Amino acid sequence: MIRRPRLFALYFRLIGLFFFIALPSSSDAASVGFSRRIVSLAPSLTETVFALGFGDRLVGVTNHCDYPAEAKNLPKVGDFMSPSLEVIAAQRPDLVIGVVGAIDPAKAREMERLGLNVALLSLSTVSEILSSFKRIAALLGDAEAGERLVRKLTLQFDKVTNRVAHTPRRSTLMVVGLRPLVAVGGKNFLDELITLAGGANIARNAPQPWLNLPDEYVVAKAPQIIIEAGMGSDTAAPARHWSDLKSIPAVKERRVYTYNSDKILRPGPRIGDGLEELARLIHPECFDRADSAKGTRCEGA
Amino acid sequence: MKVLDRKKMILVNSALLILLVLSAAACTLLGPVRIDLSEALKNIFSSTADAEILLRARLPRVLLGIAIGGGMAVCGVVLQALLANPLACPQMLGVSGGASLGGILGLIFFPNWLLPLAGGRLGEISWIPLAAFLGALFSMVLVYRFSLFHGRLHPYHILLSGVILNSFIAAVIMFLNSIVDFYQAQGLLFWLMGSLSTRAYVTVGFIWFYILLGFLWLWSKGLALNLITLGEDAAMHLGVEPGALQRQIFIASSLMIGAMVSVSGMIGFVGLMVPHVMRLLIGSDHRLLLPASFLAGGIFLCWADTLARVLLAPAELPVGIVTAFFGGPFFLFLLYREGRRSLAL
Repeated sequence: MIRRPRLFALYFRLIGLFFFIALPSSSDAASVGFSRRIVSLAPSLTETVFALGFGDRLVGVTNHCDYPAEAKNLPKVGDFMSPSLEVIAAQRPDLVIGVVGAIDPAKAREMERLGLNVALLSLSTVSEILSSFKRIAALLGDAEAGERLVRKLTLQFDKVTNRVAHTPRRSTLMVVGLRPLVAVGGKNFLDELITLAGGANIARNAPQPWLNLPDEYVVAKAPQIIIEAGMGSDTAAPARHWSDLKSIPAVKERRVYTYNSDKILRPGPRIGDGLEELARLIHPECFDRADSAKGTRCEGA
Repeated sequence: MKVLDRKKMILVNSALLILLVLSAAACTLLGPVRIDLSEALKNIFSSTADAEILLRARLPRVLLGIAIGGGMAVCGVVLQALLANPLACPQMLGVSGGASLGGILGLIFFPNWLLPLAGGRLGEISWIPLAAFLGALFSMVLVYRFSLFHGRLHPYHILLSGVILNSFIAAVIMFLNSIVDFYQAQGLLFWLMGSLSTRAYVTVGFIWFYILLGFLWLWSKGLALNLITLGEDAAMHLGVEPGALQRQIFIASSLMIGAMVSVSGMIGFVGLMVPHVMRLLIGSDHRLLLPASFLAGGIFLCWADTLARVLLAPAELPVGIVTAFFGGPFFLFLLYREGRRSLAL
């Protein structure tokens, strides 16, 4: 029983050798060659593969993968949380990439048992997101593309952090739903993005990445900015929801915003763009003027 | 049937009422954040943080908790009597499932619709509870139709059709949950777990009125409920028409459960446990049991919700977890003590 997967792998490798096709087994993807047929099990990873310039190697994505537009036309392998093993196997991928925590570990093991080369990436912090670019690039045989993407993101981050560097942090609440109130806690890359954008997440002491906050906690912490990042289509709803709690500075000063964008919700290559948009909400005064006035207006704010 | 012990009635209920008032006061003062009470009371009509926490964030939810806890307990009492089944509880009736489905559909298709009251002058309330209540009504009609034969509701059919409808609806909800996007699914799960979070006094006032009405009506049927627990034949001989009583009680409790689940989601355990605890403590005369269960249910849920706010602060636990966590062991202890006592006799 235990030997079966190895036999499979050996079998595939022999065939691969015979036909000069790189079909790496799970252990030696990097040494034998690089992946040409990739299945992505998360929208963020699909975006990363495209951003690295290898979208044409994707042979399967999830139903939720809708960016860039080309991703929509790729074969679907099922849901983000529960992709179909059969459909994945039928695409004969030489690499399956998924997110730690989203993919059931038993399912990942099952895929390995089927002889698939599975790479699971952890995407729960910004630095993990950046290293996922390098790791995927390495698996695709172009480490340089990974470095380039990381540099691009780092530059985007620096641009934003420089803009808001001299301005006091604004206390911020970010939620993805009002009924109930599901807020971004600590241990969430969105918490890091809020910090990079010059905010201070009021729920950052919570050990959970997402948590249900009671109203009284929000009133007590008096956030200066409230951002609704959920998928509601009614952009005026958040302001209405909070309108009776006038002691909250964000409510009093009309700084309750709706910003529901995959750019920040997906731990992928667009968080750089998302970060700037986030910073524009938290510190609009730092982005008011053209570059010539850089930094001057937001220093005293 | 024993004559109602008026002294016991007054003693038990006034003790519970005092406890309820004290609990309500304590729970309004306790929470994950500290408030300055004198500061809050001084600024009742202006919007300072202390006043808003006390009067907008806490008081409505404490009041809602009492109403829901009391209502659930009362429904549990009458359902256990009506269905002659100690496991009967508000969650079993199918109505709660229908309400959940209605609410979930509301959350998916119009999550942020608001209904202005009196042209917006009385504020706005969410559509979600209305969607949930429609779901509850629909499932009530279904269960009613499937349990009514020759003008009689059959407990066996009420129970089974309720349980089947609930599991069917649970499957539909899981299906919906798997097709919506990831973040929406999180929200749906949180909603399903139930919460007493509210700031709308309009909703609280409506629920209080509604539950109080239902409770008073059920209380007036206390004697008839006592008789029906003796068996349908005996009840008939003693002047109760079991068929009519069953229908009325089924509809009354379903309407109450539908409204409660609509505003607070599925908060389990109160309706199952409080009636049993009160029966063990004060006996099973429904004329006494109904008001006592109402008050005890209110006290229990009021404290459970406070714990839910405080235990993992700043995160709020689903209150259903707290009710099960603290109620379960206590219930087992009482049951064991009662068993040992009665078997030792």
